[in-house]
Amino acid sequence: MPESLQLDWSVFAVVLGGALVTWMTRIGGPWLIARTRPGPAASAALEATPGAVLVALVAPAALSRPSDALAAAFVCLIARRVPMVVAVVAGVVAVVVLRRLI
Amino acid sequence: MSMDSITIPASPRQEFASGVVHCLPIVAGAVPFGFLLGSLAAKAGLSALDMGLMSALVFAGSSQFVAVELLDKNGSGGSAGLAVVGAILLVNLRHLLMGATLEQQFRGVPRARAGLALFFMTDEQWALALRRGPELTLAYWYGVAATLYLAWLTSTVAGTLAGALIADPTAWGLDFTFIAVFLCLLAGFWRGAGSLPPWLASAAAALAVHALSSGGTWHILAGALAGGAVAAVQGKRRMRDA
Repeated sequence: MPESLQLDWSVFAVVLGGALVTWMTRIGGPWLIARTRPGPAASAALEATPGAVLVALVAPAALSRPSDALAAAFVCLIARRVPMVVAVVAGVVAVVVLRRLI
Repeated sequence: MSMDSITIPASPRQEFASGVVHCLPIVAGAVPFGFLLGSLAAKAGLSALDMGLMSALVFAGSSQFVAVELLDKNGSGGSAGLAVVGAILLVNLRHLLMGATLEQQFRGVPRARAGLALFFMTDEQWALALRRGPELTLAYWYGVAATLYLAWLTSTVAGTLAGALIADPTAWGLDFTFIAVFLCLLAGFWRGAGSLPPWLASAAAALAVHALSSGGTWHILAGALAGGAVAAVQGKRRMRDA
């Protein structure tokens, strides 16, 4: 069997679990709104969750070295001005240069 | 108004076609992104089949990046696998709010048909559907959905196949790719200065927990909870001041 067709069963279990919880978040919105009206605090918390997750994900790695922190700040500056692929490539180039310099 | 009542004189086929056309610019942006995810998945040791199944069944870009990063770092066995599922759930919690805003359009749709259609609700799908307003039809919805789904599936699988050919993807600063991608995704969630307090709270909590626990994913949960708590206080205060 070619390598590309190998299935890792523990990864597949994670995929199935992830698929189920993701589908529930998708059908849950109309279902919930028809039954409860979330208060301002709950909806504000829900709205802020994805951003908070992303911050928590990058913070330890991005702040691990001065060079990486500088490159991360650079990506933040350009992220909303250029297409994502451009920002990612520029960030990688920046980190390579900065790691050599610092 | 339900999706079954068509208020503008367009056939389902025309509606499907406009859905396809409207999401073409989005596809142009999503394909390189999917390719990138695929190559990172290859670096994490995922096969093209693993990646294809994830794209086909989870079909949620940001959470797939998070999942691949965690699988790369901690693997998929036991509690590490559960943590990946938990992280996917946290990243996708926003769907609850997005879906809530589509409640009107889906009100008249039978439960099974709505459940299937909503499986395809991505950020982009939601944005296009919302712009369509009360004139949204299921045909339009599926025009967008089918195009995005095909583009995402093929680009992520192609990226995995290509990535597996690169000998050492960790050289050349490619480990920074994840950070850069997450920062770009984060920029998309910026809603002005009010976004800053929850993000700072999340960063502080994540750094503290990360320093205390060696590895693992608890810092993600800590950051999510801290950020959510600060946002809840902000929401309450906004309500009181209004």
